[in-house]
Amino acid sequence: MAANVNATRMELLRLRKRVALASRGHRLLSDKRDEISRQLVQIAKLIQPLRKTVEQKLLETCRRFMLARASMEPEDNKSSLEIPTKKFSLAVKFSTIMNVTVPQLTKEMEGQIICYGFATTSGELDVALLSLEQAFDSLIELAEKEKQAYLLATELQMTRRRVNVLEHIVIPELKQSIRYIFDKLAEAERDNISRLMKITDIIRG
Amino acid sequence: MMLRLKAKALDFYTYPPIGGDDWRYGYAAARVRALQTQMIPKSTLVDMANAGTFEQAAESISTTEYIPVASKTLAELEQVLIAQRRSLREQFARLMIDNSIVKLFKTRDDFANMRLAVRRRVTDKAIGTDYSSQGNLNPEIFEEVFEQEKYELLGEHIQNAVEQAILAYYTDRDICRIDHIIDRAQAEYNIQTALKMKSEFLTGLFSIKIDLTNIITMLRLKFTESEKRKVFLPGGYIEIERLKQAVDTEYDSIGQLFYATPYYRIVSVGANYVGTEKSFLKAEQASENHLSGYLNTTSQITSGPQPVIAYLLQKEKEIRTVRLILTAKKNLLDKKMILDRIGE
Repeated sequence: MAANVNATRMELLRLRKRVALASRGHRLLSDKRDEISRQLVQIAKLIQPLRKTVEQKLLETCRRFMLARASMEPEDNKSSLEIPTKKFSLAVKFSTIMNVTVPQLTKEMEGQIICYGFATTSGELDVALLSLEQAFDSLIELAEKEKQAYLLATELQMTRRRVNVLEHIVIPELKQSIRYIFDKLAEAERDNISRLMKITDIIRG
Repeated sequence: MMLRLKAKALDFYTYPPIGGDDWRYGYAAARVRALQTQMIPKSTLVDMANAGTFEQAAESISTTEYIPVASKTLAELEQVLIAQRRSLREQFARLMIDNSIVKLFKTRDDFANMRLAVRRRVTDKAIGTDYSSQGNLNPEIFEEVFEQEKYELLGEHIQNAVEQAILAYYTDRDICRIDHIIDRAQAEYNIQTALKMKSEFLTGLFSIKIDLTNIITMLRLKFTESEKRKVFLPGGYIEIERLKQAVDTEYDSIGQLFYATPYYRIVSVGANYVGTEKSFLKAEQASENHLSGYLNTTSQITSGPQPVIAYLLQKEKEIRTVRLILTAKKNLLDKKMILDRIGE
């Protein structure tokens, strides 16, 4: 960068302003990075037990469903679950954490999850479906938190890169250019002085 | 019919009478006795449940009529078991001399098909032809029947059930009502036909089945905290009022309500298990065992349709048990859960 720079006083002033701006940006981005890290750690702490709960509930649902499916006749299986009566809709709102837009999910459910008669179906099917219904709340919360964590992690990675670029490339290069211009200007100044001294000597001689 | 539904005095201790001999069934009964020896014994089923892997479980029945299923997927396994059930029903039809009994058992598939077809009809889905082909009705006529509302093609008993089911659905837009109406129609049809045939065994069999269904329904209503009370089937030995009362009783005390009935053990064991484990495995297993107990009493009959019907139902139960164990093994389910379900 130093090789391409114009060694002028104007450029020196411009670069000094840029260094000040870059330093300020670096400080702000460092603060942002620290805050995002803190938020991310908090969300990660919430996700871990939530994921365990959801996985356990879904595993239980699958187990019960498998048992129900195996103990019922295939045609009864088909007719009991073909037309579901539970309606499920998901509303997405957005909020911001450290200027990162994250989703907030809210569910709306209507109707009964049990959509069949009792004579030809297994009780385990009731257990499976009720367990699935209960798992929905945790599942949606998990989806919301995981998406937030993903977006924050992406933002954190981007912020960290910016901080690193400012810290290790932009600011050192600007400082190097300033030093280069300063040296060039000083050399020109010394050159000028020595030339003037030489002219003075010639005139006096 | 109404008289039958109102008469509730139990004139038996554990199982109702099974009727007398019918000497026309000499060959069929003997054939069934021979086939019963080839059924999978309980000890083998327990070994399957205790097996470490799916392959080991499948290996346990590789010497039986079930073809080796170790390398098959669940879908292929399902096809094998459906084929097994189809051949069993064909064999049943060959052995039965009274065609009306074959027809009666085939209506199970007709009613199952109707549950699906009516659901599709009221939700404006394509009727399709993907139904069980083992009933009395050809599934290919369903599209014509439902699109042109020619319900008379289904036969009187199914026509009534379908019309009532559609009407019930449009009354409160509850899809479950379709199943409840068809279940009720099926129960009534079974009992009515058994009475018409003057078959003591079939009347007892269907009444026990209705009672067992009602008991499990009662536990399911209680577990799901449902307010529905019109879902109990008529025609059983147990009064529906008693079942309704049981829904509002604590799990520990439900058994006492059935103390004077043959179902005391099923209800008390089942209710306790539902209360503690939140599962119907024990209740379903105990009710299947009770039905098996009734079917086993047909061994007292030298010749008659009773052993043949008992064989059909026991073999169907065996197919379901094999499916249950292999599915459970394939999905790495807990051994205790399987043993609780098969009753060990």
